[in-house]
Amino acid sequence: MKVASDLSEAPAPAFRARDLSRRYGQKWALAHLDLTASRGEVLLIAGPNGSGKTTFLRLLAGLLRPTSGELELFGKNLASDPFGWRRNVSLLSHASYLYDPLSALETLRLWARLLGRSTDEGDLRARLAEVGLEHDAENLVSGFSAGMQKRLTFARVRLEDSALVLLDEPFAALDTAGQELVTEWIAADRKAGKTVVIASHNLERAARIADNAALLSRGQMSWQGPARELPGVLARVS
Amino acid sequence: MSALRSQTLTLLAKDLRLEWRAKARLVAVAVFGLLSLVVFSIAVGPDSKALTAGAAGFLVIALLLSSTLALAESFRVEQERRALEGLLLLPVRPGAIFYSKAVANTLSLAMLAPGLSLFGVVLYGVELQPANVLSFFAIWLLAAAGLSAPGTLYAAMTSQLRSRDVLLPLLLFPLVVPVLMASCKALALALTGDPMGQMRSWALLLLCFDLIYWSLGGILFPFVIEEG
Repeated sequence: MKVASDLSEAPAPAFRARDLSRRYGQKWALAHLDLTASRGEVLLIAGPNGSGKTTFLRLLAGLLRPTSGELELFGKNLASDPFGWRRNVSLLSHASYLYDPLSALETLRLWARLLGRSTDEGDLRARLAEVGLEHDAENLVSGFSAGMQKRLTFARVRLEDSALVLLDEPFAALDTAGQELVTEWIAADRKAGKTVVIASHNLERAARIADNAALLSRGQMSWQGPARELPGVLARVS
Repeated sequence: MSALRSQTLTLLAKDLRLEWRAKARLVAVAVFGLLSLVVFSIAVGPDSKALTAGAAGFLVIALLLSSTLALAESFRVEQERRALEGLLLLPVRPGAIFYSKAVANTLSLAMLAPGLSLFGVVLYGVELQPANVLSFFAIWLLAAAGLSAPGTLYAAMTSQLRSRDVLLPLLLFPLVVPVLMASCKALALALTGDPMGQMRSWALLLLCFDLIYWSLGGILFPFVIEEG
Protein backbone atom coordinates (compact mmCIF):
# COMPACT_ATOMS: atom_id res chain seq x y z
CA MET A 1 0.00 0.00 0.00
CA LYS A 2 1.43 3.34 -1.03
CA VAL A 3 1.22 5.57 2.01
CA ALA A 4 3.42 8.22 3.51
CA SER A 5 6.05 5.94 5.01
CA ASP A 6 8.92 6.20 7.46
CA LEU A 7 11.31 6.97 4.62
CA SER A 8 9.63 10.22 3.66
CA GLU A 9 9.51 11.33 7.31
CA ALA A 10 13.24 10.93 7.92
CA PRO A 11 15.21 14.20 8.38
CA ALA A 12 17.22 14.03 5.15
CA PRO A 13 17.04 15.60 1.71
CA ALA A 14 14.41 14.15 -0.61
CA PHE A 15 17.22 12.65 -2.64
CA ARG A 16 20.97 12.90 -2.87
CA ALA A 17 23.01 11.65 -5.84
CA ARG A 18 26.77 11.43 -5.35
CA ASP A 19 29.11 10.60 -8.21
CA LEU A 20 26.17 8.79 -9.80
CA SER A 21 26.86 6.99 -13.07
CA ARG A 22 24.83 4.68 -15.24
CA ARG A 23 26.01 2.82 -18.31
CA TYR A 24 24.03 1.00 -21.01
CA GLY A 25 26.45 -1.42 -22.63
CA GLN A 26 29.43 0.75 -23.58
CA LYS A 27 27.54 4.04 -23.47
CA TRP A 28 27.52 6.17 -20.35
CA ALA A 29 24.05 7.71 -20.02
CA LEU A 30 25.01 9.47 -16.79
CA ALA A 31 28.52 10.18 -15.55
CA HIS A 32 29.59 11.36 -12.09
CA LEU A 33 26.42 13.27 -11.34
CA ASP A 34 26.10 15.11 -8.02
CA LEU A 35 22.64 16.46 -7.33
CA THR A 36 20.50 17.02 -4.25
CA ALA A 37 16.90 18.12 -3.84
CA SER A 38 15.35 19.21 -0.58
CA ARG A 39 11.82 18.52 0.53
CA GLY A 40 9.18 20.74 -0.98
CA GLU A 41 11.49 21.70 -3.83
CA VAL A 42 10.51 21.71 -7.48
CA LEU A 43 13.60 20.80 -9.49
CA LEU A 44 13.80 21.12 -13.24
CA ILE A 45 16.14 18.82 -15.14
CA ALA A 46 16.88 20.28 -18.55
CA GLY A 47 19.07 19.18 -21.41
CA PRO A 48 18.97 18.03 -25.00
CA ASN A 49 17.85 14.57 -26.11
CA GLY A 50 20.18 11.88 -24.82
CA SER A 51 21.53 14.04 -22.02
CA GLY A 52 20.48 11.52 -19.35
CA LYS A 53 17.29 13.13 -17.99
CA THR A 54 15.12 10.04 -18.33
CA THR A 55 17.87 7.75 -17.05
CA PHE A 56 18.18 9.93 -13.96
CA LEU A 57 14.43 9.81 -13.33
CA ARG A 58 14.40 6.03 -13.80
CA LEU A 59 17.23 5.72 -11.31
CA LEU A 60 15.31 7.88 -8.86
CA ALA A 61 12.21 5.75 -9.41
CA GLY A 62 14.17 2.62 -8.52
CA LEU A 63 13.67 1.10 -11.96
CA LEU A 64 17.39 1.12 -12.70
CA ARG A 65 20.40 0.45 -10.50
CA PRO A 66 23.38 2.82 -10.65
CA THR A 67 26.48 1.45 -12.33
CA SER A 68 28.52 3.34 -9.76
CA GLY A 69 28.06 6.11 -7.24
CA GLU A 70 25.44 6.60 -4.57
CA LEU A 71 21.81 7.49 -4.63
CA GLU A 72 19.80 8.05 -1.50
CA LEU A 73 16.11 8.67 -1.14
CA PHE A 74 15.10 10.27 2.14
CA GLY A 75 18.42 9.09 3.53
CA LYS A 76 18.01 5.46 2.48
CA ASN A 77 19.85 3.43 -0.09
CA LEU A 78 17.89 1.68 -2.85
CA ALA A 79 19.55 -1.68 -2.22
CA SER A 80 18.36 -1.71 1.38
CA ASP A 81 14.66 -1.66 0.51
CA PRO A 82 13.64 -1.37 -3.18
CA PHE A 83 9.98 -1.98 -2.33
CA GLY A 84 9.94 0.77 0.31
CA TRP A 85 11.80 3.04 -2.12
CA ARG A 86 9.08 2.77 -4.73
CA ARG A 87 6.38 3.42 -2.15
CA ASN A 88 7.72 6.95 -1.88
CA VAL A 89 8.03 7.68 -5.58
CA SER A 90 5.58 8.36 -8.39
CA LEU A 91 6.81 8.43 -11.95
CA LEU A 92 5.05 9.94 -14.92
CA SER A 93 6.97 8.32 -17.73
CA HIS A 94 7.02 8.49 -21.52
CA ALA A 95 5.12 5.20 -21.39
CA SER A 96 1.54 5.44 -20.18
CA TYR A 97 1.50 2.10 -18.29
CA LEU A 98 -2.07 1.59 -19.50
CA TYR A 99 -3.91 -1.49 -20.74
CA ASP A 100 -5.67 -0.85 -24.03
CA PRO A 101 -8.56 -3.28 -23.40
CA LEU A 102 -9.54 -1.64 -20.07
CA SER A 103 -11.75 1.40 -19.65
CA ALA A 104 -10.57 4.50 -17.79
CA LEU A 105 -12.71 3.59 -14.79
CA GLU A 106 -11.47 -0.02 -14.74
CA THR A 107 -7.89 1.21 -14.99
CA LEU A 108 -8.30 3.59 -12.09
CA ARG A 109 -10.09 0.93 -10.03
CA LEU A 110 -7.19 -1.48 -10.66
CA TRP A 111 -4.62 1.08 -9.49
CA ALA A 112 -6.73 2.06 -6.48
CA ARG A 113 -7.06 -1.58 -5.39
CA LEU A 114 -3.33 -2.20 -5.76
CA LEU A 115 -2.57 0.97 -3.80
CA GLY A 116 -5.12 0.20 -1.12
CA ARG A 117 -7.08 3.36 -1.90
CA SER A 118 -10.85 3.76 -1.94
CA THR A 119 -12.47 1.95 -4.87
CA ASP A 120 -15.80 3.65 -4.32
CA GLU A 121 -17.15 4.45 -7.76
CA GLY A 122 -18.03 8.02 -6.77
CA ASP A 123 -14.46 8.63 -5.61
CA LEU A 124 -13.01 7.15 -8.78
CA ARG A 125 -15.30 9.21 -11.01
CA ALA A 126 -14.30 12.31 -9.05
CA ARG A 127 -10.66 11.51 -9.75
CA LEU A 128 -11.43 11.11 -13.43
CA ALA A 129 -13.25 14.44 -13.36
CA GLU A 130 -10.14 15.98 -11.77
CA VAL A 131 -8.16 15.09 -14.89
CA GLY A 132 -10.98 16.00 -17.28
CA LEU A 133 -12.02 12.47 -18.21
CA GLU A 134 -15.41 12.36 -16.52
CA HIS A 135 -17.17 11.75 -19.83
CA ASP A 136 -14.81 8.97 -20.86
CA ALA A 137 -14.99 6.79 -17.76
CA GLU A 138 -16.50 3.83 -19.61
CA ASN A 139 -14.47 4.23 -22.79
CA LEU A 140 -11.62 1.86 -23.51
CA VAL A 141 -8.08 3.22 -23.34
CA SER A 142 -7.47 1.90 -26.87
CA GLY A 143 -9.67 4.73 -28.16
CA PHE A 144 -7.91 7.46 -26.17
CA SER A 145 -5.78 10.14 -27.78
CA ALA A 146 -2.23 10.69 -26.50
CA GLY A 147 -3.45 13.65 -24.42
CA MET A 148 -6.26 11.62 -22.84
CA GLN A 149 -3.83 8.83 -22.00
CA LYS A 150 -1.57 11.39 -20.39
CA ARG A 151 -4.46 12.70 -18.32
CA LEU A 152 -5.32 9.19 -17.14
CA THR A 153 -1.68 8.59 -16.23
CA PHE A 154 -1.78 11.81 -14.22
CA ALA A 155 -4.79 10.40 -12.37
CA ARG A 156 -2.52 7.58 -11.31
CA VAL A 157 0.20 9.95 -10.09
CA ARG A 158 -2.40 11.90 -8.12
CA LEU A 159 -3.78 8.66 -6.68
CA GLU A 160 -0.32 7.51 -5.55
CA ASP A 161 0.18 10.70 -3.53
CA SER A 162 3.91 10.04 -3.10
CA ALA A 163 6.48 12.19 -1.33
CA LEU A 164 8.66 12.36 -4.46
CA VAL A 165 6.95 13.02 -7.78
CA LEU A 166 8.96 12.49 -10.96
CA LEU A 167 7.49 13.97 -14.11
CA ASP A 168 9.11 13.12 -17.43
CA GLU A 169 7.82 15.55 -20.06
CA PRO A 170 4.63 16.32 -18.11
CA PHE A 171 3.39 18.91 -20.62
CA ALA A 172 3.90 16.85 -23.77
CA ALA A 173 0.71 15.86 -25.63
CA LEU A 174 -1.44 18.07 -23.39
CA ASP A 175 -3.54 21.02 -24.59
CA THR A 176 -3.14 24.43 -22.96
CA ALA A 177 -5.84 23.72 -20.39
CA GLY A 178 -4.16 20.44 -19.52
CA GLN A 179 -0.80 22.14 -19.14
CA GLU A 180 -2.34 24.72 -16.82
CA LEU A 181 -3.87 21.93 -14.77
CA VAL A 182 -0.51 20.21 -14.41
CA THR A 183 1.11 23.49 -13.41
CA GLU A 184 -1.49 23.90 -10.67
CA TRP A 185 -0.91 20.36 -9.42
CA ILE A 186 2.83 20.92 -9.22
CA ALA A 187 2.27 24.11 -7.23
CA ALA A 188 -0.14 22.24 -4.91
CA ASP A 189 2.37 19.41 -4.44
CA ARG A 190 5.08 21.88 -3.48
CA LYS A 191 2.71 23.48 -0.99
CA ALA A 192 2.01 20.04 0.45
CA GLY A 193 5.75 19.55 1.04
CA LYS A 194 6.32 17.10 -1.78
CA THR A 195 9.42 17.16 -3.91
CA VAL A 196 8.76 17.38 -7.64
CA VAL A 197 11.38 16.66 -10.29
CA ILE A 198 10.48 17.72 -13.82
CA ALA A 199 12.35 16.70 -16.95
CA SER A 200 11.02 18.82 -19.76
CA HIS A 201 11.78 20.50 -23.04
CA ASN A 202 9.02 23.01 -22.36
CA LEU A 203 11.49 25.18 -20.48
CA GLU A 204 9.46 28.36 -20.55
CA ARG A 205 6.65 26.81 -18.56
CA ALA A 206 8.79 24.48 -16.45
CA ALA A 207 11.28 27.18 -15.42
CA ARG A 208 8.37 29.34 -14.29
CA ILE A 209 7.23 26.82 -11.69
CA ALA A 210 10.55 25.26 -10.69
CA ASP A 211 12.69 26.51 -7.81
CA ASN A 212 15.98 25.14 -9.05
CA ALA A 213 17.27 23.71 -12.26
CA ALA A 214 20.02 21.39 -13.41
CA LEU A 215 21.26 21.37 -16.98
CA LEU A 216 22.59 18.07 -18.23
CA SER A 217 24.74 17.54 -21.26
CA ARG A 218 25.87 14.08 -22.41
CA GLY A 219 25.14 12.63 -19.01
CA GLN A 220 27.08 15.25 -17.09
CA MET A 221 26.06 18.25 -15.09
CA SER A 222 26.81 21.38 -17.09
CA TRP A 223 25.04 23.95 -14.91
CA GLN A 224 23.04 24.08 -11.69
CA GLY A 225 21.23 27.03 -10.13
CA PRO A 226 17.95 28.87 -9.65
CA ALA A 227 15.43 27.94 -12.33
CA ARG A 228 14.73 31.58 -13.21
CA GLU A 229 18.31 31.89 -14.44
CA LEU A 230 18.07 28.88 -16.76
CA PRO A 231 16.69 30.72 -19.84
CA GLY A 232 19.61 33.18 -19.64
CA VAL A 233 22.12 30.35 -19.30
CA LEU A 234 20.62 28.54 -22.29
CA ALA A 235 20.68 31.73 -24.35
CA ARG A 236 24.38 32.16 -23.57
CA VAL A 237 25.13 28.52 -24.39
CA SER A 238 23.27 28.61 -27.70
CA MET B 1 1.42 -12.41 2.95
CA SER B 2 -2.06 -10.91 2.87
CA ALA B 3 -0.81 -8.04 0.69
CA LEU B 4 0.61 -10.60 -1.74
CA ARG B 5 -2.68 -12.49 -1.79
CA SER B 6 -4.81 -9.39 -2.26
CA GLN B 7 -2.52 -8.07 -5.02
CA THR B 8 -2.53 -11.48 -6.71
CA LEU B 9 -6.33 -11.62 -6.69
CA THR B 10 -6.63 -8.06 -7.99
CA LEU B 11 -4.19 -8.78 -10.81
CA LEU B 12 -5.85 -12.12 -11.57
CA ALA B 13 -9.18 -10.34 -12.05
CA LYS B 14 -7.40 -7.92 -14.40
CA ASP B 15 -5.67 -10.73 -16.32
CA LEU B 16 -8.90 -12.68 -16.74
CA ARG B 17 -10.68 -9.55 -17.92
CA LEU B 18 -7.92 -8.94 -20.47
CA GLU B 19 -8.13 -12.59 -21.62
CA TRP B 20 -11.89 -12.32 -21.95
CA ARG B 21 -11.62 -9.13 -24.02
CA ALA B 22 -9.18 -10.92 -26.33
CA LYS B 23 -11.63 -13.70 -27.18
CA ALA B 24 -10.48 -13.82 -30.78
CA ARG B 25 -7.01 -14.75 -29.53
CA LEU B 26 -8.43 -17.55 -27.36
CA VAL B 27 -10.35 -18.88 -30.34
CA ALA B 28 -7.18 -18.76 -32.45
CA VAL B 29 -5.27 -20.74 -29.80
CA ALA B 30 -8.08 -23.33 -29.65
CA VAL B 31 -8.21 -23.64 -33.44
CA PHE B 32 -4.43 -24.05 -33.50
CA GLY B 33 -4.76 -26.94 -31.01
CA LEU B 34 -7.51 -28.57 -33.07
CA LEU B 35 -5.46 -28.26 -36.24
CA SER B 36 -2.49 -29.90 -34.48
CA LEU B 37 -4.70 -32.87 -33.65
CA VAL B 38 -5.78 -33.12 -37.29
CA VAL B 39 -2.14 -32.98 -38.45
CA PHE B 40 -1.20 -35.81 -36.08
CA SER B 41 -4.05 -37.98 -37.38
CA ILE B 42 -2.94 -37.30 -40.97
CA ALA B 43 0.65 -38.14 -40.05
CA VAL B 44 -0.30 -41.46 -38.46
CA GLY B 45 -2.70 -42.37 -41.26
CA PRO B 46 -5.74 -44.62 -41.10
CA ASP B 47 -4.25 -46.98 -38.51
CA SER B 48 -6.97 -46.65 -35.89
CA LYS B 49 -5.04 -48.72 -33.33
CA ALA B 50 -2.01 -46.43 -33.54
CA LEU B 51 -4.24 -43.37 -33.32
CA THR B 52 -5.98 -44.65 -30.21
CA ALA B 53 -2.70 -45.66 -28.60
CA GLY B 54 -1.15 -42.26 -29.27
CA ALA B 55 -4.24 -40.16 -28.45
CA ALA B 56 -3.03 -39.03 -25.02
CA GLY B 57 0.35 -38.00 -26.43
CA PHE B 58 -1.27 -36.10 -29.30
CA LEU B 59 -3.53 -34.25 -26.88
CA VAL B 60 -0.59 -33.27 -24.67
CA ILE B 61 1.46 -32.09 -27.66
CA ALA B 62 -1.54 -30.09 -28.92
CA LEU B 63 -1.77 -28.50 -25.47
CA LEU B 64 1.97 -27.76 -25.49
CA LEU B 65 1.87 -26.15 -28.94
CA SER B 66 -1.20 -24.09 -28.05
CA SER B 67 0.44 -23.03 -24.79
CA THR B 68 3.36 -21.37 -26.56
CA LEU B 69 0.93 -19.11 -28.42
CA ALA B 70 -1.14 -18.33 -25.34
CA LEU B 71 1.86 -17.72 -23.06
CA ALA B 72 3.66 -15.37 -25.43
CA GLU B 73 0.48 -13.36 -25.96
CA SER B 74 -0.19 -13.05 -22.23
CA PHE B 75 2.83 -10.75 -21.82
CA ARG B 76 2.37 -8.81 -25.05
CA VAL B 77 -0.33 -6.67 -23.44
CA GLU B 78 1.99 -6.02 -20.47
CA GLN B 79 4.71 -4.69 -22.77
CA GLU B 80 2.59 -2.66 -25.19
CA ARG B 81 2.55 0.44 -22.98
CA ARG B 82 5.03 -0.91 -20.44
CA ALA B 83 2.17 -1.68 -18.07
CA LEU B 84 4.34 -4.23 -16.28
CA GLU B 85 6.80 -1.50 -15.30
CA GLY B 86 3.83 0.53 -14.10
CA LEU B 87 2.81 -2.30 -11.80
CA LEU B 88 6.31 -2.48 -10.32
CA LEU B 89 6.17 1.24 -9.62
CA LEU B 90 2.90 1.12 -7.69
CA PRO B 91 4.61 -0.94 -6.14
CA VAL B 92 3.24 -4.43 -6.72
CA ARG B 93 5.14 -7.47 -5.45
CA PRO B 94 6.66 -9.35 -8.43
CA GLY B 95 5.33 -12.59 -6.94
CA ALA B 96 1.77 -11.27 -7.27
CA ILE B 97 2.38 -10.49 -10.94
CA PHE B 98 3.78 -13.97 -11.53
CA TYR B 99 1.10 -15.94 -9.72
CA SER B 100 -1.80 -13.97 -11.20
CA LYS B 101 -0.43 -14.40 -14.71
CA ALA B 102 0.36 -18.09 -14.17
CA VAL B 103 -3.14 -18.80 -12.81
CA ALA B 104 -4.74 -16.89 -15.70
CA ASN B 105 -2.62 -18.87 -18.18
CA THR B 106 -3.51 -22.14 -16.47
CA LEU B 107 -7.20 -21.31 -16.70
CA SER B 108 -6.87 -20.35 -20.37
CA LEU B 109 -5.16 -23.64 -21.16
CA ALA B 110 -7.64 -25.58 -19.03
CA MET B 111 -10.44 -24.05 -21.09
CA LEU B 112 -9.02 -25.84 -24.12
CA ALA B 113 -9.68 -29.22 -22.47
CA PRO B 114 -13.35 -29.78 -23.40
CA GLY B 115 -12.91 -28.80 -27.05
CA LEU B 116 -9.61 -30.59 -27.68
CA SER B 117 -10.54 -33.74 -25.77
CA LEU B 118 -13.95 -34.06 -27.44
CA PHE B 119 -12.36 -33.53 -30.84
CA GLY B 120 -9.57 -35.98 -29.99
CA VAL B 121 -12.01 -38.62 -28.76
CA VAL B 122 -13.97 -38.42 -32.00
CA LEU B 123 -10.93 -38.12 -34.29
CA TYR B 124 -8.90 -40.92 -32.71
CA GLY B 125 -11.81 -43.18 -31.84
CA VAL B 126 -11.05 -43.24 -28.13
CA GLU B 127 -13.75 -44.29 -25.69
CA LEU B 128 -13.43 -42.10 -22.62
CA GLN B 129 -15.20 -43.92 -19.79
CA PRO B 130 -17.64 -41.66 -17.91
CA ALA B 131 -16.01 -42.74 -14.65
CA ASN B 132 -12.68 -41.33 -15.88
CA VAL B 133 -13.94 -37.98 -17.17
CA LEU B 134 -13.24 -36.21 -13.89
CA SER B 135 -9.74 -37.73 -13.64
CA PHE B 136 -9.07 -36.76 -17.26
CA PHE B 137 -9.90 -33.10 -16.66
CA ALA B 138 -8.03 -33.04 -13.33
CA ILE B 139 -4.89 -34.34 -15.07
CA TRP B 140 -5.38 -31.82 -17.88
CA LEU B 141 -5.57 -29.06 -15.30
CA LEU B 142 -2.35 -30.29 -13.66
CA ALA B 143 -0.66 -30.46 -17.06
CA ALA B 144 -1.84 -26.93 -17.88
CA ALA B 145 -0.47 -25.73 -14.52
CA GLY B 146 2.83 -27.52 -15.19
CA LEU B 147 3.22 -25.72 -18.50
CA SER B 148 1.96 -22.35 -17.25
CA ALA B 149 4.41 -21.75 -14.42
CA PRO B 150 7.67 -22.14 -16.38
CA GLY B 151 5.91 -20.75 -19.46
CA THR B 152 4.94 -17.57 -17.62
CA LEU B 153 8.48 -17.15 -16.36
CA TYR B 154 10.00 -17.59 -19.81
CA ALA B 155 7.30 -15.52 -21.51
CA ALA B 156 8.21 -12.65 -19.17
CA MET B 157 11.91 -13.21 -19.83
CA THR B 158 11.53 -13.17 -23.61
CA SER B 159 8.68 -10.66 -23.92
CA GLN B 160 10.99 -7.74 -24.70
CA LEU B 161 13.06 -9.62 -27.24
CA ARG B 162 12.50 -9.46 -30.97
CA SER B 163 13.03 -13.21 -31.30
CA ARG B 164 10.62 -14.07 -28.47
CA ASP B 165 8.44 -16.32 -30.66
CA VAL B 166 11.45 -18.53 -31.40
CA LEU B 167 13.05 -18.35 -27.98
CA LEU B 168 10.01 -19.21 -25.89
CA PRO B 169 9.54 -22.78 -27.21
CA LEU B 170 13.30 -23.29 -27.30
CA LEU B 171 13.54 -22.51 -23.60
CA LEU B 172 10.25 -24.02 -22.53
CA PHE B 173 10.14 -27.40 -24.26
CA PRO B 174 13.23 -28.99 -22.64
CA LEU B 175 12.17 -27.77 -19.20
CA VAL B 176 8.67 -29.27 -19.33
CA VAL B 177 9.69 -32.76 -20.48
CA PRO B 178 8.87 -34.23 -17.03
CA VAL B 179 5.41 -32.63 -17.17
CA LEU B 180 4.85 -33.96 -20.69
CA MET B 181 5.89 -37.48 -19.70
CA ALA B 182 3.78 -37.61 -16.56
CA SER B 183 0.72 -36.07 -18.20
CA CYS B 184 1.00 -38.39 -21.25
CA LYS B 185 1.09 -41.45 -19.01
CA ALA B 186 -1.72 -40.26 -16.73
CA LEU B 187 -3.96 -39.13 -19.61
CA ALA B 188 -3.37 -42.42 -21.47
CA LEU B 189 -4.51 -44.31 -18.39
CA ALA B 190 -7.57 -42.06 -18.08
CA LEU B 191 -8.44 -42.67 -21.73
CA THR B 192 -7.73 -46.38 -22.07
CA GLY B 193 -8.43 -47.60 -18.56
CA ASP B 194 -6.38 -48.02 -15.42
CA PRO B 195 -6.62 -51.63 -14.30
CA MET B 196 -3.39 -51.48 -12.25
CA GLY B 197 -4.28 -48.21 -10.52
CA GLN B 198 -1.20 -46.36 -11.81
CA MET B 199 -2.92 -43.14 -12.79
CA ARG B 200 -2.85 -41.80 -9.24
CA SER B 201 0.95 -42.19 -9.06
CA TRP B 202 1.48 -40.33 -12.34
CA ALA B 203 -0.94 -37.61 -11.27
CA LEU B 204 0.94 -37.28 -7.98
CA LEU B 205 4.23 -36.98 -9.85
CA LEU B 206 2.67 -34.30 -12.05
CA LEU B 207 1.50 -32.47 -8.95
CA CYS B 208 5.04 -32.60 -7.53
CA PHE B 209 6.48 -31.09 -10.73
CA ASP B 210 3.80 -28.40 -10.58
CA LEU B 211 4.68 -27.54 -7.00
CA ILE B 212 8.38 -27.28 -7.85
CA TYR B 213 7.75 -25.11 -10.94
CA TRP B 214 5.30 -22.84 -9.17
CA SER B 215 7.62 -22.35 -6.19
CA LEU B 216 10.69 -21.72 -8.35
CA GLY B 217 8.71 -19.41 -10.64
CA GLY B 218 7.68 -17.22 -7.70
CA ILE B 219 11.28 -17.05 -6.46
CA LEU B 220 12.91 -16.36 -9.85
CA PHE B 221 10.32 -14.00 -11.33
CA PRO B 222 11.61 -10.83 -9.58
CA PHE B 223 15.06 -11.38 -11.12
CA VAL B 224 13.47 -11.78 -14.55
CA ILE B 225 11.47 -8.57 -14.60
CA GLU B 226 13.76 -6.20 -12.73
CA GLU B 227 16.07 -4.19 -14.97
CA GLY B 228 19.67 -4.23 -13.78
